[in-house]
Amino acid sequence: MLLQTLVTGLAIGGVYALMAVGYSLVFSILNFSNFAHGVIIMLGAYFGYYLCSSLGLGIGASMLGAMIGTAVISILNEKLAYRPLRLRKAVPLYFMISAMGAAMFLENMVYVTVGSHFYSYPSFFTGSISIGGAYVGLLDIVALSISTFFIILLTLFLNKTMMGTAIRAASRDMLVASTLGVNIDGLLMVVFALAGGFAGIAGVFLGVKYLVYPTMGVITNKAYIAAVIGGIGSLPGAIVGGLILGLVESFVSAYISTTLRDVFSFSMLIILLLVLPSGLFGKTLDEKL
Amino acid sequence: MIKRFGAVLLVMLFLISLIGCGNAGNGGATTSPATSAQTASSDPAPSFSGEPIKIGHAVALTGDASVFGQSEATGLELAVKAVNEAGGILGREVVLVKADTRADPAETVNAVRRLVDQEKVHAIIGVAQSGVAMSATPIVTAAKIPMISTTSSNPYVTINKETGALNKYVFRVCFIDPYQGTATAQYAFKELGVKNAAILYDVGSDYSQWLATYFEEAFIAAGGTITGKEAYRTGELDFRAPLGKIKETSPELLFLPVTQKDAALICKQARDIKIESIFMGGDNWASPDILSLGKEAVEGAYFINLASFDDPRIKGWVEENKSAFKGDVVRNAILAYDAMLWLADSIERAGSTDGEKIATELENTKDLEVLTTDSFNVDPATHNPLDRAAYIMTIENNAFKYVMTFAPAVN
Repeated sequence: MLLQTLVTGLAIGGVYALMAVGYSLVFSILNFSNFAHGVIIMLGAYFGYYLCSSLGLGIGASMLGAMIGTAVISILNEKLAYRPLRLRKAVPLYFMISAMGAAMFLENMVYVTVGSHFYSYPSFFTGSISIGGAYVGLLDIVALSISTFFIILLTLFLNKTMMGTAIRAASRDMLVASTLGVNIDGLLMVVFALAGGFAGIAGVFLGVKYLVYPTMGVITNKAYIAAVIGGIGSLPGAIVGGLILGLVESFVSAYISTTLRDVFSFSMLIILLLVLPSGLFGKTLDEKL
Repeated sequence: MIKRFGAVLLVMLFLISLIGCGNAGNGGATTSPATSAQTASSDPAPSFSGEPIKIGHAVALTGDASVFGQSEATGLELAVKAVNEAGGILGREVVLVKADTRADPAETVNAVRRLVDQEKVHAIIGVAQSGVAMSATPIVTAAKIPMISTTSSNPYVTINKETGALNKYVFRVCFIDPYQGTATAQYAFKELGVKNAAILYDVGSDYSQWLATYFEEAFIAAGGTITGKEAYRTGELDFRAPLGKIKETSPELLFLPVTQKDAALICKQARDIKIESIFMGGDNWASPDILSLGKEAVEGAYFINLASFDDPRIKGWVEENKSAFKGDVVRNAILAYDAMLWLADSIERAGSTDGEKIATELENTKDLEVLTTDSFNVDPATHNPLDRAAYIMTIENNAFKYVMTFAPAVN
């Protein structure tokens, strides 16, 4: 039971981590919580679903297609909902409200066009592997490996390339970075494309693992908490936060009560913020929303 | 064929009521289907006299429950057609007025208000969901318009939860949750030979919580053991934590009184962590999308239904009307058909469209022949039908399959 709980916790935490990365990436540059991220994950699940069930593509090609789709939506989201605010030098609060608006708009667009039906992906990576009596879903292993691979790729990109350096510079101070010749519009396009791409991967995994439906983005609330626990704006923080949250949830469910699980996750969030206001790995910022 | 049979039955009911004979049900039952078909086809087009009788249909034509609603609408249309072909009610034509509830309480209030205030209907059929039906109760009670709910299985639809008083104008045509819990528990224990079972239910849903309790009580009463009872909150996607706990107790059967979406996910995840139990569910499983969502994980599972298209008794009716159903055919159509026959009989016996008189006759219905049974009886104290059959279904080759009609021993 202990091992099974641990494995389940890691598997759930891995999904949270993947989603939390998108939140942190945008937060690190623009200092606001992009609540449209959950809806973009949902769209990723729909893109992937149509590619593999209607066009009969494999899981790899569907995921790639979904990533491109969500990257485009994410860039459009920035251009239409955030850029005008940025040009008017609005405070982060307005960005967050605009993000919520974008989320509601996109979710309702799905209701109107696709409807509220539940969809299920064709079966991929079914079956499970036994490790010392605990069962690990094959899908969980694949999801965790692919997530790790992309997170490593992202870390390399941020640390080893010119564009990555510019992004890190802008996350310290956007104004200074732009005076030193960084093209902020272009840079944000890359950041949102990356966040969108990660949303695409997360969406496809969520879809394959669970179901596809318009309100599935709600689960990203948990990912957001994970990002905050880890210190929003920090990539390692997002990953560690995701894993911690997954483990806590799984242990509370197994040893205390399933119905009390969320009470524990949210209490943990509040207590952690009281002790460490910027999370585990967060940098101290003046404005956090 | 049975549609015509039903039509002839209604003609006979009409004639019998004119000559004041009370033994209506038997009179209809002795007519052979073959002769009734001939009689019906040789009848000239019925001529109606007087104002039409307006029946309101409050139904979820759009929204989450539209699969059920669309099928229910078609079923009721067929019933009204049959009644009219048999000469209508009291010699008057029956007209159907539909109002979309979207399975939403607020929309339902609007829809039922429109039916009562603007359309001036004489009776209402529909409002398939328990929680939603409760929102319509105050309106129909104030207007004294009888309402027959099709699939609301919560006991408190016909009875006021606070006062325990009977809702005089609210009726239902399906069985209730305690009966459903008892039936599933007894079927599992007696027919499947299962001695120990676990339950996983949704703590945020009244339906799920009560059905879990009823199953638990009946299963223990039958002599079984409940090895574990776990809960989750509405909207949950990952059930591996509670399932892991259930796995420790290795139950032979896992009872899942939950929605088809949750059931599909739970079955999948349970099989992933190698839970080998038989899965069993309530009537919420009867939505065909459980097959595409659950795939091989729901294979071999059992659930209980309020009605079945594979019921041998109604096979002929289903064959005859298959073309009328555009999408999936679900049980609501059958229940709506039964409700219409019940209502038609009651209005006929009431001799008027006065809501109070109709309600009294609905309440006093005895041994009425409807689509699904020869003797449909109503408990006047609760407005619930008595001895309603429970249809045990299984999932085989990714399709619903009728197993048997099960009558639990109720104490």
